[in-house]
Amino acid sequence: MTDAVTDQNEAIFVELVANSWRRHAEMTRNTQTDDLLVGAIVASSVNQGWALIDLGSDGRSHLLRFDHAASRTRLVVEVRSLAEDLATAKVLGRLANVEIGFGMRVDNFSQVFQAVKTEIKSALLVSTEPGVITVDGDLSTGYVYAQITLMVDLDEYLTGPLAVDYAKLQAHIGAVVHSLNKYLRGRLGL
Amino acid sequence: MLKKLMDFANSREMRESRDEMVVGELVLAMAQMGMPATRFLAGADAQQVRFSTPHDPLLHNIAVIVDRKTGGGALSEAVIGSKAVITVTAEIKNYLADPDDLVGMWRTDFANITKMPLLGQVKLDHQLNSVLATKKLIIELNEYIGDPAVARPRLVGLLQATIAELSQSLAPYKKHSPFEVDG
Repeated sequence: MTDAVTDQNEAIFVELVANSWRRHAEMTRNTQTDDLLVGAIVASSVNQGWALIDLGSDGRSHLLRFDHAASRTRLVVEVRSLAEDLATAKVLGRLANVEIGFGMRVDNFSQVFQAVKTEIKSALLVSTEPGVITVDGDLSTGYVYAQITLMVDLDEYLTGPLAVDYAKLQAHIGAVVHSLNKYLRGRLGL
Repeated sequence: MLKKLMDFANSREMRESRDEMVVGELVLAMAQMGMPATRFLAGADAQQVRFSTPHDPLLHNIAVIVDRKTGGGALSEAVIGSKAVITVTAEIKNYLADPDDLVGMWRTDFANITKMPLLGQVKLDHQLNSVLATKKLIIELNEYIGDPAVARPRLVGLLQATIAELSQSLAPYKKHSPFEVDG
């Protein structure tokens, strides 16, 4: 075999291995996009003064709960990936159901109890569709939550394979929190 | 009376959440060092987070496990504090490997038999095309939460020192190749 043929074969081999790693990386990145956004939510929230007090994750469904001691408010974010499979992600986009809840401490027990009664009504109206605000109350800690489910394309928050658009992410979470806060205050008559 | 019960429940919840608070600070610290979290696995007993290292020419990723051991109750926290075992594992990946590479690593596997990770020693583990270095540390959770001006630099210092030590252990095993991809 001549040197030229040997070089050519080696070049093809190197290209095949390189392409294999590129495809493997693409599949890996697809499954970790939801985790990347969850990490960005944690980092930006902690940086803004929220303390992470609850973390649950099985790699596909993630639950975060934050506490803001000074304002006695809480933030709950649940992210459920709908596109762990690369084919689904390529056809529909990297979609995820994101449930955002905003809670505030209410010392008036009857208001918490009223919210819990509303929670029971909310449970009867469970919907898989987005845009429905539900109310939840935690009798033990005195927090009342308003929450909403949204469907988002995770790629909208990425500026590169491992780079997150923090400004956009914070602006969107801030807008949802603002609306839920307003709703909850109106509901509780605060 | 009900308000007092709620206050008690809140303080208990905050005490039980110290390990999650440290995980939150950890994710922020690593993100600020250019290592975003790309994998979460968390249950009631321990939290595991994996971080990608896109700007590090040596490491492929870093995994951190926070496993709380004490301080869940008010009494145990007052007596022995909120202790947790933090396990930091750094991984390098060799993008072209064959079984002879693994056979050639028997010396470090043999040396690992006598190593105790809990004493702060670095333990190496060879996979077919990955080499992992692990170090375990026992920390007091309260030292890494609270005033951000004090706690955050302390956590960053701990992470940087640990990652540097693990990188140093792994460096001899890295085979650079044209196939590098960010993990």
